[in-house]
Amino acid sequence: MSLRLGLIFSTTGSYAALGQSALAGALGAIETLQKAGAPEITPVIADPGGDIAEYERLTRSLLDDGVRHILGAITSSSRKEMIPLLEQRGGLLWYPCPYEGFESNDHVVYLGAAPNHHVVPVTDWIAAQGMRRAFLVGSNYVWGWETLRLARDCLQTHGVKIVGERYVPLGSTRHDHVLDEVCSRDVECVVDSLIGPSNTTFLQGLAARDPARVGRPGHVVSFNQTEADLDDLGAAANGLLSAGSLFEEDAGAQLKTAARRHAPNGRVSSFLSTAYAAVEIIAEALVRAGTEDPKAMFKSACSAPVATAMGPVSIDPVLRHAELRPCLSLAEDGHFRVVERMDRPIPADPYLTSRVANPIHRKPVLRIIQ
Amino acid sequence: MTRAPLHNFSGRTAIVLHRSEEIGQRIKARCDRLGVRALVCTGDLSASLAETADMLILDIDTADDGMLPWPNGAAPVPVIGLVGSESPGRLAWALRQELDAFLPLSALGNLFSALVVGHEVFARKSETRARAAELARRSSGRLDVIRAVLALMEEGRDEALALKKLRAMAMVEQISLEDAARRLLAKRRAIRGGAS
Repeated sequence: MSLRLGLIFSTTGSYAALGQSALAGALGAIETLQKAGAPEITPVIADPGGDIAEYERLTRSLLDDGVRHILGAITSSSRKEMIPLLEQRGGLLWYPCPYEGFESNDHVVYLGAAPNHHVVPVTDWIAAQGMRRAFLVGSNYVWGWETLRLARDCLQTHGVKIVGERYVPLGSTRHDHVLDEVCSRDVECVVDSLIGPSNTTFLQGLAARDPARVGRPGHVVSFNQTEADLDDLGAAANGLLSAGSLFEEDAGAQLKTAARRHAPNGRVSSFLSTAYAAVEIIAEALVRAGTEDPKAMFKSACSAPVATAMGPVSIDPVLRHAELRPCLSLAEDGHFRVVERMDRPIPADPYLTSRVANPIHRKPVLRIIQ
Repeated sequence: MTRAPLHNFSGRTAIVLHRSEEIGQRIKARCDRLGVRALVCTGDLSASLAETADMLILDIDTADDGMLPWPNGAAPVPVIGLVGSESPGRLAWALRQELDAFLPLSALGNLFSALVVGHEVFARKSETRARAAELARRSSGRLDVIRAVLALMEEGRDEALALKKLRAMAMVEQISLEDAARRLLAKRRAIRGGAS
């Protein structure tokens, strides 16, 4: 029994560091499984180079070539580009990245963190620290819009004031106007949904403008910062709080070996560990199903938890998302230190149905003050 | 004030009206993902069942006026039409019923979008209807405004000053001009009645 697995990760281009980390995890797992005598998984590697049109072209070419399973896509826009082709040709995408939720497609398995794994615990943490003034800044596309929309909602529910909200074009590295606002408005916490070079330059600019804030834990929070590109930030990352399904501190020997052997920066990140676990889940599902038919394999992947390098992973057959144990971590001198661990796996809630629905609008209570 | 469209349907009940049990179950599975309790109904919709619904999802290929326990276009909850055959006659029926959103049977994965659109369209429709009713009620009070202005002119004002006085009364009471006129006339009638 064998399976050809498409690995579509951008290992060049603006978010190459994330793609390289995820690819390293997948290759590490394939190598380990091969040694253990598991069914053979043959990687078919494709690099879209961060170009959205390339995702479509490469996905089509892999599916036309008979590949049924693809592990890949980093950004939501790339995933959304691949979905129509997966639907047409009956393929299955194993998606290993945190994303903004509000999706549950029959041709995707969502293994990364959903908003209740990142935005909700991070905003709860901000409120628990007693911070009262937050500023939202994000890249101008679906990840930025949706995570910050939810962050605003959650923070306001906690009584945290949103003193500003700004979106910068994808790839933009000019942030003076945003930094002016942040530095002039007594902002305790910057909620950062920037990606790629925008994120690096923004955090470095912020640290340069106001060096004192870098020492304050949680002065910046991110929903997806990992070790994959933490080194790029240098000391500007100090004090940044991030959420993730696994941080390097908790990585076992398998993940560390995969990072050492396959990751250009030699580091474990949640991208690396989730891609690693994805391959383990795919291999186990193949054994359980006895066929590479995507529907049968998805069903068998959900039938019982799969033991992975991240611990046992359960997948909800209805929502098609993995249960995760998200952690909150603070960046300190190039490393993340975990400050909060969930005591149990949290089922993904991509549509946030467990949040209190529809706030009831009450008339303000007016009273006369003499 | 702008209102954000509703996007959390958790805990709500949807009646799914479709002759095919299989399609009903597929929609139910989709509803489960959104925290919506789906009651699949393969026959006509009874008034008692309709009362339990927060929304209705129906097959426009097989639906007809008689199946729905309310007059044309007067559904008390958002209604989402499932598009199957796309025959012009069935689409015309759905438009006559003023359905709030449409969902092709081939795209059940987009139920969430249909629910968001359907609830928003329903809310806007309700607001438009309420506004139209209020405008109709107010325009029926025009004669009272003229009567009230004339009554205030009896105290020696010209028509512009009389109208200004009536406007001031409406503003203080935070009611419409027509309601202020009705109130003024009623008060005067009461005084006159009390005096006789």
